[in-house]
Amino acid sequence: MNPRAPQGNNVVTQSLAQIGNCGLFLLTLLAAIPRSFRYVRETIRQLWFVGAMSLTIIMVCGLFVGMVLMLQLYHVLSIFGGTSASGMVVALSVYRELGPVVTALLFAGRAGTSITAEIGLMRATDQIDAMEMMAVDPIAYVATPRFLAGLIAMPLLCCVFCAMAIFGGHLIGVSWLGIDNGTFWSNMTAVVEVHTDIVNGVLFKSLAFGAVVSLIAVYQGFTTPPTSEGVAYATTRTVVASSIAILALDFVLTAFLM
Amino acid sequence: MSQPRNSYAVGTGLFIVLGFAALAYLATQTTSVANVHQGASYTVDAHFANIGQLKERAPVKIAGVRIGQVQSITLEPGREVADVKLAIDTHYDKIPQDSVASIYTSGLLGDQYIGIRYGSSKKTVADGGTLVLTQPAQQLEEMLGKFFGAGGVADNLGGTYTVKANFTNVGALSVGAPVKMAGVPIGSVQSVIADPVKLDAEVTLAIDKRYNAIPDDSAAAVFTSGLIGTQYVAIQPGGSPDALKDGDEMVLTQSAMQLEDLIGKFLVNGSSGDKKDAGNGKPSESPAPAGKH
Amino acid sequence: MTEPVRATSDDSTLVRVRGLTTVLNGKTIFDRLDMDIPRGKITAIMGPSGTGKTTLLKHMTGQMRADAGEILVNGKNVPDMSREALYKMREGIGYLFQNSALLTDFDVFENVAFPLRQHTKLPEVLIRNLVLLKLQAVGLRGAARLLPNELSGGMARRVALARAIVFDPMLIMYDEPFVGLDPVALNQVLKLIRTLNQTLGITSVLVAHELDAIKQVADHVFLIANGKVVAQGDPKTIANDGSAWTRQFFGGEADGPVPFQYPAGDYAQALGFGGAAK
Repeated sequence: MNPRAPQGNNVVTQSLAQIGNCGLFLLTLLAAIPRSFRYVRETIRQLWFVGAMSLTIIMVCGLFVGMVLMLQLYHVLSIFGGTSASGMVVALSVYRELGPVVTALLFAGRAGTSITAEIGLMRATDQIDAMEMMAVDPIAYVATPRFLAGLIAMPLLCCVFCAMAIFGGHLIGVSWLGIDNGTFWSNMTAVVEVHTDIVNGVLFKSLAFGAVVSLIAVYQGFTTPPTSEGVAYATTRTVVASSIAILALDFVLTAFLM
Repeated sequence: MSQPRNSYAVGTGLFIVLGFAALAYLATQTTSVANVHQGASYTVDAHFANIGQLKERAPVKIAGVRIGQVQSITLEPGREVADVKLAIDTHYDKIPQDSVASIYTSGLLGDQYIGIRYGSSKKTVADGGTLVLTQPAQQLEEMLGKFFGAGGVADNLGGTYTVKANFTNVGALSVGAPVKMAGVPIGSVQSVIADPVKLDAEVTLAIDKRYNAIPDDSAAAVFTSGLIGTQYVAIQPGGSPDALKDGDEMVLTQSAMQLEDLIGKFLVNGSSGDKKDAGNGKPSESPAPAGKH
Repeated sequence: MTEPVRATSDDSTLVRVRGLTTVLNGKTIFDRLDMDIPRGKITAIMGPSGTGKTTLLKHMTGQMRADAGEILVNGKNVPDMSREALYKMREGIGYLFQNSALLTDFDVFENVAFPLRQHTKLPEVLIRNLVLLKLQAVGLRGAARLLPNELSGGMARRVALARAIVFDPMLIMYDEPFVGLDPVALNQVLKLIRTLNQTLGITSVLVAHELDAIKQVADHVFLIANGKVVAQGDPKTIANDGSAWTRQFFGGEADGPVPFQYPAGDYAQALGFGGAAK
């Protein structure tokens, strides 16, 4: 039925085949980028759906991650009398790891699944075929704009997440636990570096995660059997595969960048 | 059609602006960019015998106020001297020539920075000038050595007498570590050797002769000063009327607690562990519990 | 848009299929199938379920590649076409999907306007007029601002039809246009198919099993079974030509050349009564 379906008979060959197909699909997506320039409006529309619509969950989660992180750090660091460093530790851990990773996981759950479900339903209801018949390239019109939107949205969402986490940390640390405001900021600014923490940590990682999550989401949507059961499985697979890919990639990137 | 399309575009534009605003906020308000002064600066040389952990872009401060940063650190060719170039804000151009540049550490574990203390000279250092008076970085080891080491009280005193004590485990106790009673140094560890027969550690303590009335049933314990401090021998006086004499052996000993155990107990047990620690802190009345490690 | 395609039209055959062979998942769908679809007529393709009628349409539009054979649409061989040539050709073909396939993100107006927006840079006023013209033709001008999920099945199919004809194609393919329609909607769709063919001269190919409906509109009928054309001709004569195929299909007999049983092993053996099975 599905020409891209992996033909292996065990988990390893199937996973490898999936990864290989996913890579080939990425090439198709990238090759379609020039053709998708005429659908800039569609990319903007998708940016609205995957980016702006994810803003609420990202902001709320960022706030709470910052708050709980500060609370935990304060109690651990107070053992060593180092509570003044907690703002710094919040900033570093959010920029380097938690920000990109948690944002990407939330993004996979919020935007990735909706991309997969939407494309899967478009296939199930022949909308993709209808586009083919209307001489509109579905890769350029459906897949690439969503991929690009995910690519653009992730770093922006990650920045918002980090800012909210810092704000949450500040809220708990300074307003509640009574860390000095000046100490909070000066310790943070003394340690956080633009290149290693903001560029490599926040921006580069989130860009890579955005690419991986949107690739997986679009790929799953396009290759799922066009039935309602297939769409349901595909959304699940998007979350599972994205989460594994995010964490594995995070390790690789951390090992190479830091 | 065009109405919803435009609202998407506006919303998406807002989203992008918000994202970039967050990025700008992160990059400027929470990073060291916030510390970099953009204004004009002039360069002053300073030579240090040892710069410790000083890094480029470390702050230069006067009275704790940031006035510039370390521009470069190079090794003076052919000499064992570090040449540190300081970029100082042109606002602060009245620094006397005989000012002293020292390398300080912000807190025990913090980063190092250069502190300048004003001299009394009428002349000021100009661009390209040199601060001649410098004070190198204090090495933590030396500081700790001064603080805890045998050089403290015991060194200044006249004669000592030696007492032996056997421990099943001395931890990281080293020669020269202080011997304290009631927290006051009264001597130092002279030698730590393994006893080939009893298979434990035989520690020789050199105690100042002034303290010659220590009861001979006093207990010796290996303690750690603070969580990351060095280890020392604490003597907890007993109640016997006879005093320790030169060459005596202390029978009651308590071995070193391993840091790992301590932290483990602390973190795992939390506050309930405090009671146990207090119990362990008292000298054991027999050497048997000491041998549990 | 379709002018270059129409220019070569002096032949009476618009789509010529020769030696079409397709094997899907080890099952032979078409076995050297030949078919000529006349220009300007309404042609119906009938056949039992699973004979690949939809697949045949997809071959004609290049959505699926056949394993062998030629499909000449207006004199050009579809399997040889590049992607650009295929897209160019498809602009001259309207295709009505079985389940309408309206884009769920857009309202009715935008769905019909979609091909125009994608392929032309017409001013908004002109697009609006063209779209309203087509919607008026299918009787849904008043529904222009409804979303696809607010439409009934018949309405959705009429919107899809308006979208299919927005470019005034030379050929329209209807994939099961009558399925799931109430009698009123069925008659509306039938009337539209007939009107489009008669007033605009659009060649129509429809895939269906509804015999009564086909008798009303089709000029020519192909009956496909087992990968071949087993009967063809005028819908009124074909029903009475007396062959086993047409008798089963038009007479509605359960068993015949089209087997009631899906191919299986020996029944007795499967139940355990055979000598070999213990």
